[in-house]
Parts: sequence; C-alpha cells; structure tokens
Amino acid sequence: MSAAPVETGDAAAPHVELRRVTKRYGPVTAISDLSLTVDKGSFTALLGPSGCGKSTLLRMIAGLEAITAGQCFIDGVDVSDMPPAQRRIAMVFQSYALYPHMTVRQNIAFSLSVAGQPKKVQNERALEVARILQLEPFLDRRPAELSGGQRQRVAIGRALVRKPEAFLFDEPLSNLDAKLRVQMRFELAKLHADLGTTMVYVTHDQTEAMTLADKIVVLDKGVISQVGSPLELYNAPANKFVAAFIGSPSMNFFGVDIAAISGRTATVVLPGGRTVEIGVTTGAGARSAELGVRPEHLTVVDPRDPAAAFAGKVAIIEHLGSSTILYVETPVGQLVVEGEGDLAAKSGETIGLRLNQNHARLFGVTGATL
Amino acid sequence: MTASVSTADLSAQTGARRLASLRRVDLAGLVITVATLLGAIFWAFPLYWGLVTTFKPEYEVVRPGVALWPAHFTLENYGHVLLETKIGLWYINSLITSGAVTVIVVMMAASAGYAISQLDFPFRRYFWWMILASFMVPIPALIVNHFILMSQFRLINTLAGVVGPQLIAPVTVIIYKQFFDSVPKDFREAAVMDGASEFQLLFRIYLPMNWGITTALAIITFIGAWNLFLWPFLAVSSEDLMNITVGITQVHDAFGVQYARDLAVAMLAALPVALVYLIFQRRVTQAIMLSAGIKG
Repeated sequence: MSAAPVETGDAAAPHVELRRVTKRYGPVTAISDLSLTVDKGSFTALLGPSGCGKSTLLRMIAGLEAITAGQCFIDGVDVSDMPPAQRRIAMVFQSYALYPHMTVRQNIAFSLSVAGQPKKVQNERALEVARILQLEPFLDRRPAELSGGQRQRVAIGRALVRKPEAFLFDEPLSNLDAKLRVQMRFELAKLHADLGTTMVYVTHDQTEAMTLADKIVVLDKGVISQVGSPLELYNAPANKFVAAFIGSPSMNFFGVDIAAISGRTATVVLPGGRTVEIGVTTGAGARSAELGVRPEHLTVVDPRDPAAAFAGKVAIIEHLGSSTILYVETPVGQLVVEGEGDLAAKSGETIGLRLNQNHARLFGVTGATL
Repeated sequence: MTASVSTADLSAQTGARRLASLRRVDLAGLVITVATLLGAIFWAFPLYWGLVTTFKPEYEVVRPGVALWPAHFTLENYGHVLLETKIGLWYINSLITSGAVTVIVVMMAASAGYAISQLDFPFRRYFWWMILASFMVPIPALIVNHFILMSQFRLINTLAGVVGPQLIAPVTVIIYKQFFDSVPKDFREAAVMDGASEFQLLFRIYLPMNWGITTALAIITFIGAWNLFLWPFLAVSSEDLMNITVGITQVHDAFGVQYARDLAVAMLAALPVALVYLIFQRRVTQAIMLSAGIKG
C-alpha cells in the first residue's frame, strides 16, 4: 500500500481523484479508463441513467468495490488498496441502512463505539450531530418509529459523526416522496454550505443534480460524457446524450440538412424548406445533422406568421400553473413546447412554432455538438 | 322509488345469505373444535395418567382395573425420589451439559453460518456442501464412532464426553446461514464503512438483527439436549455423572421396578422442559417450523 502524499490539500486542490480507473466484472467492463477530480469543498454530482456506472464509481471511492485498474486518491493519499474505514470518508446509502435494533443515538454513535471511544464521548458527539440535524427529540427511538425524512437525517448523522474528509451519497433521496425530497434537498444544500465538506452525490435525477451540485459529472455507459457546472451542461451540452439528459421536459431533436458552414455559423435547412442560422464551433464539411432545441426555446405563434418555422397540431396540453407544456404534432415529429402559464391553446388546434435559433444546437452524426 | 326498494330487497337477501353461510361456517368450526378437543384429550391422557399415578401408593398402582384418581393420595413417591436418589445431581449434570451444548452450538453455528454466508475464503462452497452432507447422516448411525472417539480422547465417563458429540448441529448452521443471507448487503457495507471488524459485524449487527432466531434455536437446542437419552446413557456409567434422563433408569430398589417412583422422576425430569416450552411457546413453535422447513 503506497501512502505517499502527492500534494498538500489547499482549497483548489483535487480532494478526491480517480486516475484512469477501470472496473470489470468478469468479462463485463462497467467503467473504462476513467479519470475524475473532485475539488475540496465542492458538491459534485455523478449523474446518469441507471446502469451507467455512477454507483460503481462511488463505491470504488468508498472502497466497497475493488478497482480493477487505476488509482484512487483522497486528500493526496493513494487509497486504492485501503479498507473503507481507513479512507476517512462517510457514505449515506439509498436504503439508509439504519441498524433496526439500535436507537437513533446508537446508530449515530456506532462508528465511535466500534472504534472503542468512551461512552461519554459517544453521547456528546451523538448529541452534537443530533442538534445539527434536529434529531434531539428522537435520540432514543428506533428507526422503525421514524418517518422517512427523519431516517434520512439519521443516516446523514451517522456519516456526520465521523467528521469525514468527504461525504458520499448514493441516491439518498430516491426513497422519499416528492415533497420531502424537495425539503431534504434544501437541507442537504444547507448542510453543505454550513460544513463546507467535499460531497460526492450519485443521482439519476437531473433536477437533484442541477439544484444541489456545483459540478456535475454526466456518465454514459461507464464513460464521462461531460463535466461542468449545471448551467454549462444546460446551455452548452457537449453532446446529444447530455443535451437529452439535462433539462425537463427533454430537448427536442430532429434531422436537418446543412446548406453551408461559414466560420461559426451553419446555415441549416429545416424540413419545411426554411433556412435558419445556428452557431457552431466545428463541423466543417458536415452535410446533415440533428438540431436540438429546448421546449422553452420554441414559441407558439400564429401558423400564418412568417416567423413560424413549422406549423403543427396540438396533441396534448399540460397546465402546470407556472408554465404550460404542449405536445405538438409537426412534420418533423412530435415536439414538446413549454410556454407561459396562461398560454391560450386548445387541443387539436393548429399553431405555428417559432424557433429561438440562438439557443438551438446542432449535433453531428456521432452525437457530438457541432 | 322502485329501484330503491329493490336495492333494499337485494341487500336483505345478501344479508340473509351471508348469515346462512356464517352459520354453515360455524357448524364446520364446531365439528373441527370437537374433533381437535377429542384429539387433545386422547393425546394428553397418558400424561394425565402418568401424573396421577405418581400420587398413588405402589400397591394401588399394581392393582387391576383403571382408577382415574388416587384412592389414597400420597407424596411418598416424590419424597423418595427427591430424598433417596441423586436427582439433584442429575439435574445439575443435565443443566451443565444441556447449557454447554446450547451455548457452544449457538456460538459455533452462528460463526460458521456467518462465515459461509458473508466471508469469501477458499473452499467455502465445499465447506457448505460438507455441512449439508453431514446433515444427511443420522446421528445414531455414528454412535459407535462417537463412543470410540470419545474413549480415545479419554472423555468417556466425563461431562465433556457427554457434550462433545452433541455439538454436531448442521441444521443450526444452515438456518443461521440462510438468515444471514437475507440481511441486506447495505447493513454490512454501512458497518464496514463505520470501521466494524468481522467480529463486530457478527456480534453487533448480524446476531442482534436475528435475535429472534437465536433465542428460538437456543431453546430448541436446549430442549433437544435435555431430552437426549441414548448418548448420555452410553457415555457415562458413573451414577454421579448421569443426566436426569439416564438417572430415571436408576430408580429401582431390591423389590424391582416401582412404577410410581419411576413416573415421579420422569415428571420431575420433564418439568424444566415443560416450563421452558410454556414460557417460550411461540419461539419454540417458530424454531420447530424452521428446522422442519429445512428437514422437510
């Protein structure tokens, strides 16, 4: 076991670092040659659909999964072969994994108890953590007597009591109902702001990732698709996968022909024959591409409006109060449109759609953004 | 209006039908209750007969005919057994050996079950097969081997010799293994992250989480060890080292078999087991169902 400090941890230094890690289960490669750095004090979300390897990645950092090849560093120390308990990290499980036969106090103090800390210290620390998480009234209850949100807080408390270098969260909110999830999301964000400890958070819910994280790592089939801040991912997706995964409702895609690319502008011929100009950075020589446009960047106009890119028939309307979602059948397929809350449209009505071309993106045949 | 009347009619009809079906169910219930009651009486009669006999003087026991109640009530048989025999010592021997068997079997089986269920070590699968295979061999078939083994260990005529062969308890290991298998992996991982060792995992997470099964297995192991006759009978010939079950065979005098005294010592021998059963009824039933499920 090599334990040589590579660098001292100042604020900007990578706190958790994976270097070219690979994870294979027999013949199946779950993660292949992946490198990732998590800055000290950051809240990093690992986001992706189920089976993309995000939990495996987290479990490799935790030490619950052996790394097939590559290295894992925590605070500059190679922990690749270290047992989980020595890595000075704490993990919150999706199922909370609260010991059912122990009280909240015992659950929180379990790590101190197995380390042989005196009872007095255990009690003090459990109380201290319970105070932060507002669990004091429940210290002598068992997990079965707690609500979902309280159990979640106990699970966090159990991580907190160890004063870890970093917290690992494995889809911690997925067992909660929608309302509680929003509340716990806020509490987690507050906890991160108060503690300033590095947090790595696995989720398949892009809203959670967008709202909580300062950095999102989008994973697809064991490979990093893109790393960036929530708005970077939203506004400048590196590829079609990220564009489709981030944002709700999802981005609309349809095939277009490229008439010409000059400099940073591509002239695109829409299926109806209209041409629009879309900003690009690469893609010289491409003849066709997919155009991606977010629902809020399509505007409902009169079908005879000369600015309308397409005309289409409204199939379904969803009124969400603050916004209205329209599913519109157009010559390029079904498009999802997000409009104002008081948008007056009727099902079956023919409408025109204007495209906000400044926000549209072109994706090449490989899926990469042009 | 007509519609509402017909609805009322309909509901009255359904009500009557339901009542009729209830009555039918009740009748079936009555028949079953009577049948089970008869069965219970039939089953309990020997117990009653035995108990009543202990309160009869010996001459009344051997008198022809059936007397359901002692003509002359006496505690003389119990007096004899308690004062003239070594029953106190036999009780203590039974307690020591059954207690030791219970503690050692539960600890060993829990540890073995945990290792096979949770740890990764070479030949784990073979160990598991060996335990399953050993469970196919009836213990009485090995009794000669056990005797020779114990005599080579110089443990014949010792309490340790009585305990030794009773420690083979594959069923207990199998039950523990299956219960530990069903503990979600997250508990283990959370405890590992918290720095728990394998021993702490077993004794602070896995065993307490399956506390019910441990008590059930302990009780059934204790009852089994207490009731065991053949092996303690073979392993010990000194009266001072006998278990209560073996001790029963020692209660005769120059006049030969004394039924009332024999039954009195049998009643005393059965008393602790009966008490354990009455106190832990639910757990015992659970344990029997578990082991029956596996033996099934």
